[in-house]
Amino acid sequence: MIAKPFRFVLIGLVTAILAGCGAEASSTADKAAAPASAEQVARGKYLARAADCAACHTAEDGGAPFAGGVALETPFGKLFGTNITPDKDHGIGNWSADDFYKALHDGVAPDKRLYPAMPYTSYRSLSRDDTDALYAYFMSVKPAKVANKEDELHFPFNLRFGIVFWNMLFLKDSLPDASTGQSASWQRGRYLAGALGHCAECHTPRGKLGQLDLDKPLTGGVLARIGAPDITPAGLAARGWTPKDLETFFATGVAPQGSAYGEMYPVIHLSSQHLSKTDLTAMATYLMGDKPPAPAPLKTVAADAAELNAGRQLYTAVCAGCHGREGEGKPNVTVAMKGNSTVRNADPRNLIVATLDGIKEQRFPNNGAMQEMPGFANKLNDKEMAQLANFLRASWGGQAADVTADAVKALR
Amino acid sequence: MSIANKPLSMTINGKAVGPLNVPDGLMMIDFLHEYVALTGSRLGCGQGVCRACVAILDNPDGTSEEIRTCITGAHFFQGKKVRTIEGHAKLNEKGEVVELSQIQQKFLEHYSFQCGYCTPGFVNAATVLVEKLKRQPVDKDQVEETITEALNDHICRCTGYVRYYEAVKDVVMNTPGLVKGSK
Ligand code: FES
Ligand code: FES
Repeated sequence: MIAKPFRFVLIGLVTAILAGCGAEASSTADKAAAPASAEQVARGKYLARAADCAACHTAEDGGAPFAGGVALETPFGKLFGTNITPDKDHGIGNWSADDFYKALHDGVAPDKRLYPAMPYTSYRSLSRDDTDALYAYFMSVKPAKVANKEDELHFPFNLRFGIVFWNMLFLKDSLPDASTGQSASWQRGRYLAGALGHCAECHTPRGKLGQLDLDKPLTGGVLARIGAPDITPAGLAARGWTPKDLETFFATGVAPQGSAYGEMYPVIHLSSQHLSKTDLTAMATYLMGDKPPAPAPLKTVAADAAELNAGRQLYTAVCAGCHGREGEGKPNVTVAMKGNSTVRNADPRNLIVATLDGIKEQRFPNNGAMQEMPGFANKLNDKEMAQLANFLRASWGGQAADVTADAVKALR
Repeated sequence: MSIANKPLSMTINGKAVGPLNVPDGLMMIDFLHEYVALTGSRLGCGQGVCRACVAILDNPDGTSEEIRTCITGAHFFQGKKVRTIEGHAKLNEKGEVVELSQIQQKFLEHYSFQCGYCTPGFVNAATVLVEKLKRQPVDKDQVEETITEALNDHICRCTGYVRYYEAVKDVVMNTPGLVKGSK
């Protein structure tokens, strides 16, 4: 939730803007529209996948492709992905390629300003060629007569002109890198992960007004119940990732370090699995840099013997049946706990949340699967949850056994 | 890592069992089969999906719940109360069945099962459902949904589920107190 002082700041800003500016002049002068070629449409389709447009614009329960309706919970209220099919009443049927470019580049649609939940902070770096290809693709999909849902934002965030000021403060022409590199692959990966894949939108922490904290690019964010982990080179290497494993993960959703869950699960399905091998290599290269740090070896961490033993008892009682006695996991059934990226995460949040809530059955590309993991919120109390988490962290995560019952309680 | 044995005691089908010296990581289904000769619980998938191995856990608060014995360690049951498929029918001193439980009886009458491999799990699930309905009866128009929900996770390769469903519905509709307004 938004702390009160910030609301006042924003109300102040909004009032200032109210006084200062009227409607933004919306230029409709357009480049002469050339008819789209099949090649351009196909490229647009690929780019739409790389940019994961469907995640927000195609409703999960059988919604028409790109007809909108996906709810996005934000600290400021609820937003809905809009209809971006070429329907003239509800979609972008009346938009020009210029309009489309402005929406992606500036967050300005012909009829309104977009909230930055639409990641134009990232899409801003898209080339005009690519937005044109995306436009050509969306104009080629089946128009869907599906009305857009009203956003449910709290005051004052429901006042769209506030966005002008937000943009002035926070909209940057490029996003900072967390890795270093020069290679062509790194450059391509930068475009894929930054402009298209908009990784930063979840993996970079946010400030009180929802802006990306650009001093800490890709160090992890908690927009959703399952947080987005640190994906800087150091953060990834500390959890045992290599560029090769990342590539496997993007292609199949499963790697020795674990399987995609939470918000990353649909990303694999809708986006990364469709990317070419070269592009996946590029993304992995960009995330870990041209000179990737070596994956940190797994070490065991000393901890109170009685507590560890209690945690181990719990593990054998309710986890080992599926995850294996020594945390080795079972192919297509469960992920390994030993060396698991979530277990190795210094922040225990996701480990605790996954254990409390469980994870639905998962299907992955190439007939991969992970079966449903039950939640243990009703089976284990706070103390037991902490003991279990600590056993996992110290034995198979190289992390301190410092999870407290209160930390578990706070996540229930 | 060597396998450590630990003493284990629990109540199975109303009888105190143990302490027995049981390996640390042994799963409950193996304990039932190998240590107490209760072989009625079926091992299907062995990974928590099919529910053939489901037994009933009796909680101290009087509620009961299904528990998958293939993925739950035997030592989880230390000091707990559990019922298996062997615990439903009434037996005489010689250990012969003299009366089936109502669920078992209706499963027979409705020809609910074929090969029978999944049946122990279904009997236990249906029993848990009936016990839950005794505590919290449902409206008549929710009966079908409630049964589907209760049995949904159980997999049967033979029957197509309809006869299971009908048997359970028979019990639910004809047992006083499970449906709101019934006496
Ligand atoms: S054998 Fe236990 S769920 Fe299948
Ligand atoms: S009766 Fe054969 S599996 Fe159900």
